[in-house]
Amino acid sequence: MKSEQNFGTRLLTIVKWFILLFFLLVALLPLVWLFINSFRSNLELQISSFGWPQKWLFSNYIKAMEMASLPRLFLNSVITSASAVALNIIVAAMAGFILSREFFKGRDTIYTVLTAGVLVPIIAFMVPYFSLISRSGIYNTLFALILVYASVNIPVSIFLVTSFMRSIPKELEEAAIIDGCSFTQRFTKIIFPLTQSGLVTAGTFCFIYSWNDFIMAMLLTSSIESRTIQLGIKFFSSQFITDYTTMFAAIILTIIPSVGAYMFLHNKIISGLTAGAVKG
Amino acid sequence: MTKKGLILLLTILMMMGTVLPVFAQGAAEATAPAKEIELRWASIWVGADSKAGPVAAIVEEFNAANAGKIKVVIEPQPDYNAYEQKVRTSLAAGIAPADIFTIKLNPTTAEFYNSNLLMDFSKVFTGSWKSSFEAGSVNQSTIGGKLKSLPFETAILPMWYNMDILAKVGVTKVPQTVDEFWSLMDKLKAAGITATSQMTGDTNAWTSMIWFSHFAVSLGGPDVWSKPFTDPAFVQAAEYIKRMIVNYSTADAIGLGAGGSGGHFLAGRTAVFSNGPWYAGRADLAATPFFKNITIAGLPGFGSTSNYMISRIQANICAAASKDAAREAAIVKFLQFLTSPEKVKSIAQPSGAMFAVKTDAKPANHLQVQFTQLANSVAVSAPDFEAAMGAEATKEFTQQLSALALGKITAQEFTKLVALKINQD
Repeated sequence: MKSEQNFGTRLLTIVKWFILLFFLLVALLPLVWLFINSFRSNLELQISSFGWPQKWLFSNYIKAMEMASLPRLFLNSVITSASAVALNIIVAAMAGFILSREFFKGRDTIYTVLTAGVLVPIIAFMVPYFSLISRSGIYNTLFALILVYASVNIPVSIFLVTSFMRSIPKELEEAAIIDGCSFTQRFTKIIFPLTQSGLVTAGTFCFIYSWNDFIMAMLLTSSIESRTIQLGIKFFSSQFITDYTTMFAAIILTIIPSVGAYMFLHNKIISGLTAGAVKG
Repeated sequence: MTKKGLILLLTILMMMGTVLPVFAQGAAEATAPAKEIELRWASIWVGADSKAGPVAAIVEEFNAANAGKIKVVIEPQPDYNAYEQKVRTSLAAGIAPADIFTIKLNPTTAEFYNSNLLMDFSKVFTGSWKSSFEAGSVNQSTIGGKLKSLPFETAILPMWYNMDILAKVGVTKVPQTVDEFWSLMDKLKAAGITATSQMTGDTNAWTSMIWFSHFAVSLGGPDVWSKPFTDPAFVQAAEYIKRMIVNYSTADAIGLGAGGSGGHFLAGRTAVFSNGPWYAGRADLAATPFFKNITIAGLPGFGSTSNYMISRIQANICAAASKDAAREAAIVKFLQFLTSPEKVKSIAQPSGAMFAVKTDAKPANHLQVQFTQLANSVAVSAPDFEAAMGAEATKEFTQQLSALALGKITAQEFTKLVALKINQD
């Protein structure tokens, strides 16, 4: 009986590990493929997509760095994404505070109008954004991208932050008011700190969009000084020719910092995402 | 945080708004010397493009010769599809995308001629400048008496035959008749060799669109594109392209992009491929064992028209109109420099590309020689589907081509659906 139980447990463990390893392989294989092919020549890649490099071409990485000005573009991406997240969070938190904690006429209408932006496809904003940015004299600046990325994500951020703030007990604020908290202090000392998990989620959405965006960066910028990393990766494909292996090297170089940052910070990111998920 | 904190926060935000534009080194007007005219050129010939090096050298030479007076700044446009979207968006917003930029002139982009945003070159395009261009290309670029884009890069779009593969099935010359063509396809298939590199992906199903254009022009004549798209010539051409994709192409043809289509040919996996002269300048093509045995030719006459070729103006140069006469004069000065036979030759020779400007460029390899000979030998030429019908119709063509190849629609339905889009436009 006991040996049957042991067999069952072992079988379950094997199945569990098999499933986990399968998904691990599915997740890692594209990255491994990308990494190996970043050392091959284009001709090798065209002949066979799978295989070891005949000669490990480290020169692909040097070419990637030199051709696309990757360090500069990476810095631009960091500045743009971080600033857009900061701006987006500040605006969303202030709007969410008013929309969730204050009662006034038209509050629900304002909330609906603001969050309805989630339903409008980004491509519909291309002409108005281009027109506004160009005419306001900030075309081809990082500030234009920061403004647009922060704005595009306002609806989803307000939706998330407002919902999160509504779940905070009113009694906490009432106690603070009795203790002499002003209107501003209610926001800065009570609600804002308690909404950190919601803000992390909203900020993560905004960061992912800002980091991955290609269309707006292409539309609103025109020089290396204000372009982002996604445009750098595209630098290896022209109208008729794509230098795939150098592009793979560029992709590897651009994901190393993100992966590194995640390895150091993953505990904080996960705790931020899951905090508040269970009330106790 | 108290009121002081809130004021501090607002001050920081205002400072961000003021300081961040400092990153705008690209906003050139602010940094350029007062008297120097800076011209922004949204160039597609950058990065991996074979014309990137020579074009950059020409700009550098021009800037050196005009130091302190005119400075041309290349704004790299690395992704062509996104670049086209940017041009359309900016013109729709009533703003030129740059001082100088390129378009593919077709019925969609010809609409730009109605805009006051583009410079009309017709008054200054005279004398030796005009005579250095091929008259046919200039005529094609002149709409309603206005020349709002200069024809620059041109192309013929023939077939590329890997004669090493053909030799494996006992064929030593390219097919001259339709029977020889189908016989070749069947022999290759029987030998387990994939005959062609078809594709239905990207925004224009590029290589298969070229095949379709060959069939249509041969069946309906050089003016076939002026006929309704439901014409029997197009239906028959659709039947042929379906047959090519289903029976004589790689298994991944549906949804495949131009990179994949070319990749199959480069890897020696397919025997026949279609593309323009720019492909001849590729280093990886020159490194293939079959490079010396590639023959550039047309297709046999599938209809009443034979000895024809598909051709197009690949890139037209536009410039932003300006109220500042000095600025317009600077643009003309640069374009005259760029399109001078000597400079065009310096781009044509290393890249293999063809141009609307007459030069004495010497072909760099045997493929470029064949391109020139073929272009000079054909009796008649006609544009491809995309050049004739425009970008929107081509997107529809591409989407319906997949449905046709998958057997979801018939050739008649295919032409009706594409015709519907053409008529909408």
